[in-house]
Amino acid sequence: MLARLVVASLLALGLASTPAHAQNALVISVWGGNWKDTVEKVIGKAFTAKTGMPVEFEVGGTIDRLAKARVAKGSPLVDLTFTTSHVGRLYMSDGLFAKLDMAKLPNAKEVAKEALRSDYQMGGWSYVYTIVYRPDLVKEEITRWSDLWKPSLKGKIAMPDFDPSHIITIAALMEGGNEATWQKGQEKLKALKPSIAAFYSTDAQSQDLMKTGQAPVQVMLSVNAYHLQEQGIAVKLVQPRDFPGIVGIDCMSVMAGTTKADAAHQFINLALSKEIQTELAKALKAGPVNGGASVPAAFHGQLGIFLTPAEWKAGAYIMNDEVRAKNLPAWREWFTANIVK
Amino acid sequence: MRLLLTPALLVVAVFAAALSALLRYSVLEFVPGSLQTGGLSLGNFTGIMSRQYLGAVWDTVVLSAATTGLTLVASYPVAYVLARTPSPRVRSTLLVLTLAPFFTGAIVRTYAWVLVLGNTVVTWPVPMLFTARGVLVGLVHFSMPTMILLLAAAISHIDPVYERAAASLGASPARVFRRVTLPLSMPGVVSGSVIVFAWTLSAFATPELLGGGRVKMIANVVRDLALDSFNWPGGAAFAVFALAVTLGLLAAVGRLTAGSERSA
Amino acid sequence: MLRLAVLLLVAFMTLPTLVVIAVSFNPTAILSFPPSGLSWRWYVNVITYPQFQRAMWNSLVVTLGAVAVAMPAGTAAALALARAPRGASLWATLLLSPLVVPGVAAGLGFLILGAALGLLRSRAVLIAAHVALVLPFVVRSVWVSARNLDPTLERAAASLGATPWRAFQRVTLPLLRPGLLAALLFAVIVSLNEFVVSLFISTRLTEILPVAMFTYVVNYTDPTIAALSTLFIVGTVVAVWLADRFLDLGGVFLHHR
Repeated sequence: MLARLVVASLLALGLASTPAHAQNALVISVWGGNWKDTVEKVIGKAFTAKTGMPVEFEVGGTIDRLAKARVAKGSPLVDLTFTTSHVGRLYMSDGLFAKLDMAKLPNAKEVAKEALRSDYQMGGWSYVYTIVYRPDLVKEEITRWSDLWKPSLKGKIAMPDFDPSHIITIAALMEGGNEATWQKGQEKLKALKPSIAAFYSTDAQSQDLMKTGQAPVQVMLSVNAYHLQEQGIAVKLVQPRDFPGIVGIDCMSVMAGTTKADAAHQFINLALSKEIQTELAKALKAGPVNGGASVPAAFHGQLGIFLTPAEWKAGAYIMNDEVRAKNLPAWREWFTANIVK
Repeated sequence: MRLLLTPALLVVAVFAAALSALLRYSVLEFVPGSLQTGGLSLGNFTGIMSRQYLGAVWDTVVLSAATTGLTLVASYPVAYVLARTPSPRVRSTLLVLTLAPFFTGAIVRTYAWVLVLGNTVVTWPVPMLFTARGVLVGLVHFSMPTMILLLAAAISHIDPVYERAAASLGASPARVFRRVTLPLSMPGVVSGSVIVFAWTLSAFATPELLGGGRVKMIANVVRDLALDSFNWPGGAAFAVFALAVTLGLLAAVGRLTAGSERSA
Repeated sequence: MLRLAVLLLVAFMTLPTLVVIAVSFNPTAILSFPPSGLSWRWYVNVITYPQFQRAMWNSLVVTLGAVAVAMPAGTAAALALARAPRGASLWATLLLSPLVVPGVAAGLGFLILGAALGLLRSRAVLIAAHVALVLPFVVRSVWVSARNLDPTLERAAASLGATPWRAFQRVTLPLLRPGLLAALLFAVIVSLNEFVVSLFISTRLTEILPVAMFTYVVNYTDPTIAALSTLFIVGTVVAVWLADRFLDLGGVFLHHR
């Protein structure tokens, strides 16, 4: 018996010392829940059908995945990353992305030039960050950003803890500044503190807070709000009358040092095609980047479903990516020190 | 003897290497945005003195104390019945209910509270999930099995003869408890309280899942610093601080109980 | 009065578990209690979700590896402690020290060490950490048994011509069995459930089951974890009940009169 135990243990140790490999698959870093499901069903399936290569996913919050990528720098554990356009700049300044080879992305010609956020990032879809609330739990109608400061909303609001750029920018705009002169909004932000019930670090937590009614008013992105509606939770998206919602653009990038750069480019190219873009817009209820994609008529005019990138500037507020990325660490620190605690 | 101890000492040496890596990083300067570090600096430790971090420390101590107290009160009756019940079926049931949670792990146990506190079963009159009181409930629930077992072990060592003697001399059950049972079970009360307090100081999963970003204990701040802000030096300093607090606490209690043993 | 209090407290201890079990059968992702129907879909998801499959395999490998190292090392150490009681308490403190270190401190320490040695890609750091975390339990459990060993038995075997190794195999080891079994049980349980340290040093490819579960809870809102939790709970309740039935667990913790 002893001998058998020894053999089994040596076997286990042997297995253990070999690095854990996922041999053949294209590994994609993306947010969890409905995001991963959609990318898997809409793009992943088509990609595997076309190339025969399976697709795997690393799931996590925006900053979580950035931290993991930093630790793996040089020999990345993922091949392609979905992230927001401004956080993508943080990846870039860390040297984590590879420059996109536009020759390998023929479908990019059909895409609006604003979608190419930088040499390293190709936009996939757009949405808007705005106020979303449950009318069944919040009787008073919310129509403006400034409504968030109302005493009746004390302890009812949730917002992301990983990215305070939206509320910081809105507060700055309210005080006559913008994201570059954000200090102008600091006092206004501090005044919002008692209204905050919780902070969420992932989309799933945000949806949970809304579902349970713990935080029935949120600064949330439109795609997640629509997802909640699809699941039967009646939430209302607000087109604020005082200042617009903040545009969000999710981008795809190839990781520096990946061995599957070609496959990654193929994936991106597929994601940019008319057909896939149409499916993505439908599944996520987001704005496509390919002008040739057809958005169902029922979606026209709905918040966050921009028909073309030209609508970004018209319908909402686009923050300067560089300024946003540069300030994000300082914003997070200030926010954590002054608002979260 | 040396030979027999060597393999185990090697393992401890590896652990010590990890701790010394931690210690080393705690005195290195943090270079924002990278894993490289600057030179020697006590900046990380002075950084702990900021309102935000000290707030987390205070919250941790308060939560740990509250958890210990509530757990003690909630566990004693169960422990008493577990130790004293004549029915093997009751004893077996209580034992299974108490021991099983140990084997299911922190995530399983905390997730159950995410459901219950999250208005799944009842809609709570006051918010429970993602609040300090929610975290407290989770922590008490998590600590009860440990406390019950330690208390039950101590109580089972008390000869029931004493309790019967006191009762036969006319003492009410409450009086028997106060004058006989409780004092004789003190070693169990102390060791249970110390262990629960020390463990709760380092609690991570419960506040992480039930705290909603607003309730942060020391362990959560360490994780945020190290894994979110990528500030390994800062996280290391805070972790070293947590380690020092835990060791200090255990040393202080060790000295107190040693003293009381000698005077007994 | 006491009985009522204990009943309420036991209810407090067990009700969350019942909620988890009920929710695991919920047919939709929107959680409701009582569940609106009965469905096995989340159980199916548990078994088919690739990351769980990978994590279960990782847990198996890591726990086996950790136990394979910790059991012999811890047993040897326990014997050494039992045979030299005078120096024992100092060595014991050293060997049991990982128990008092906060999980995040050990986790971050191993992360820094692992990154410096470039070992984070493999499971080596995970196994090393698990061995260190599990060793105190092994030492403790075997030491209890070893303390009660009668040294004359081994000497008797030697005088009858047995080599030290043979004496150990045929005399000491069987006598240590209760301690060894307890040590094995603790080692496996602690390693399988280890979360905080593993959270710091795992990658997507090496993460063990508790870490995979945590990632899932934070990133998804469906009750898959309720299903997985139910499997855990049922398994451990059965195991503990059996252990109490056949191994008298009560006697391990409580003093028999």
